[in-house]
Amino acid sequence: MTEANAIVFVVDDDEGMRRSLQNLIQSVGLRVQVFASAQEFLRSKPIDAPGCLVLDVRLPGLSGLDLQKRIAEAGIEIPIIFITGHGDIPMTVQAMKAGAVEFLTKPFRDQDLLDAIQQALERNRMARKQRAEIEELRERFDSLTPREREVMGLVVAGLLNKQIAGELGTSETTVKIHRHQVMEKMSAGSLAELVRMADRLGIPTPK
Amino acid sequence: MLKVDSFAKRVPPVVWQYALAVVSVAVALVITDVLEPYTTLRTPLFYIAIIASAWFGGMGPGLLALALSTLAVEYYFVPTAFVPELGINGGPFILLFSLSGLLACWISVQRRRAEQALKEARDKLEIRVEERTSELRRATEDLRAEIAERKRAEEALREKANLLDLTHDTVFVRDAKDVITFWNRGAEELYGWTREEAVGQVSHDLTQTIFPAPLEKIMAELNSTGRWEGELIHTRRDGTRVVVASRWALQSDERGKPTAVLETNNDITERKRTEEALHKVQAELAHVTRVATLGEMTASIAHEVNQPLGAVVNNASACLRWLAGQAPNREEARQSAALIIADGHRASEIIGRIRALIKKAPPRKDWLDINETILEVIALARSEAQKNHVSLQSQLSSDLPLILADRIQLQQVTLNLIINAIEAMSGVGESPRELRVGSGKDDSQGVRVTVRDSGPGLDPRSLDHLFTAFYTTKPQGMGMGLAISRSIIEAHGGRLWATANEGRGAMFQFTLPVGGEKVS
Repeated sequence: MTEANAIVFVVDDDEGMRRSLQNLIQSVGLRVQVFASAQEFLRSKPIDAPGCLVLDVRLPGLSGLDLQKRIAEAGIEIPIIFITGHGDIPMTVQAMKAGAVEFLTKPFRDQDLLDAIQQALERNRMARKQRAEIEELRERFDSLTPREREVMGLVVAGLLNKQIAGELGTSETTVKIHRHQVMEKMSAGSLAELVRMADRLGIPTPK
Repeated sequence: MLKVDSFAKRVPPVVWQYALAVVSVAVALVITDVLEPYTTLRTPLFYIAIIASAWFGGMGPGLLALALSTLAVEYYFVPTAFVPELGINGGPFILLFSLSGLLACWISVQRRRAEQALKEARDKLEIRVEERTSELRRATEDLRAEIAERKRAEEALREKANLLDLTHDTVFVRDAKDVITFWNRGAEELYGWTREEAVGQVSHDLTQTIFPAPLEKIMAELNSTGRWEGELIHTRRDGTRVVVASRWALQSDERGKPTAVLETNNDITERKRTEEALHKVQAELAHVTRVATLGEMTASIAHEVNQPLGAVVNNASACLRWLAGQAPNREEARQSAALIIADGHRASEIIGRIRALIKKAPPRKDWLDINETILEVIALARSEAQKNHVSLQSQLSSDLPLILADRIQLQQVTLNLIINAIEAMSGVGESPRELRVGSGKDDSQGVRVTVRDSGPGLDPRSLDHLFTAFYTTKPQGMGMGLAISRSIIEAHGGRLWATANEGRGAMFQFTLPVGGEKVS
């Protein structure tokens, strides 16, 4: 069960608050790791598991919003739930724009936090799944020959076999064979599926 | 002594004495020789010479005169002076003559000695009488001078006593048994008893004195230094009370035994009343500024209280979850409850601290640890610092002596300096905002507290006005914070001042004198 694998990180400088969050999250059977400061969190070893971050906005040294920026810059994908003693609107807007899952004001209802954590973990799980899928697609794409990649690019651009043959200066039959190979190697059941794959891989469509 | 000397001078020198013996015998010889034809007497003049020589010269010249006379009589007169009718021949005559001469000489010397001794004794007596007389005269003169001196002193004393009546202060003298012996007009006016009524009374009983310290302690100081100063409360004849600034001076006799105490009292009832009113106003002002400062921090304080409350809610929710379901986890639930209790205590501590600062309490001095006092303030100001992105650090020196001070007032001063520093740094942009609160020993064995910031520092032009009431650089400021802070510190016997911080910003520091005991 992936649920048991999931881990919740908590960064709060207030020891009592930190312990209570740990207690609450543990009570629903989730793994928790707590940190007293943003720096402490950044120094910790990354864990390969679905997770989310419960982050206090106001921290000594690096603030919660600063940490959010650092995480984004480092390309780490982890959903963030902000908690604060008293959040003002500009702060909330900034956090949400930067991709925060939720912004909770202390004291919050336990269910609100736990819901937000579940939502964040779901989001992270999805993201991890998508990333895995893209990696799979990338592997398939990498197995194509250069000519096959050229054909694929033109196919997803919506060109007919005849047009592709004209474009590449080969026979229509040859194009047909390449096209078949592409569909096979990419495990695409239909043209529409192949187009979606190309889209997710970010293959540029030649003009 | 002078007389004795002159008497000694009158004694002829030895040479003259012997010369007299020789001359007198020669004269006797010549005269006897001249008178020889007219009389048969040959010896009388020689006797005279012997007696005279012995008289003036003593035994020596006397014997010389006797010897010379014997020779002269024998030589010149015996052969011719043989007087057969007397039946005396020459030999026995000379013997008789010399014996009688010797007797005459001895008697003369003895007489002379007796006379001289008598004379000496008389002279001495005279000298002694004279000495005694002059002594007596001197004593009489001294006595007369002393009497005059006493009269003058008495006069001066009377004048001084009259002067003591002129002063507005009350002056009275009490003897070793506290019985009043002098009571001036000022005392009559202040207390209402006349001199006749007061003199003879026991002073502390009469005025129902209330002492600022145990009387034994006061007396010990008076006896060791000869002086005492302090405030006393007396009750007047009409029953009303009066506060006096009292000065005591001790008078002792030659043996150092205390004989009397001069007590000078000054009515300070009115002054005390004014001072008390002033203190009350100052305390009220301090309270108002304290509450105003806390008012500025409301948001931060709310956050500070919210933290433990949030923790309580979380732990309580967790507790319910641990208990829910098929297999309740009692151990986790129990631990959750323990956490709730701890958080509840923490919340009430914070509220207690705030309430203490808001409470209108009369100033009260206790022995306290300055570091503890500072840490409590830092706990309150922490949120405010974070809100303003200020890093708040404390560098507290251990081994500081305890100080006798009002905790709330010192916290007010520290809080005020911290809030000022945070506000000063709110406009410094990107540069680091550092606030350091330190404690340490002062040069003079007291305690020193410093609050340094990395703000824009102090405008030299405003330095003079910083501590003036109603002077402020803040748009919402009352301008009372530093003025009140300084008056609080000065009331504790310390100093509060501002200087530029090393590097950047400003440094405010205050010192407090110490009481003695060390923090363990």
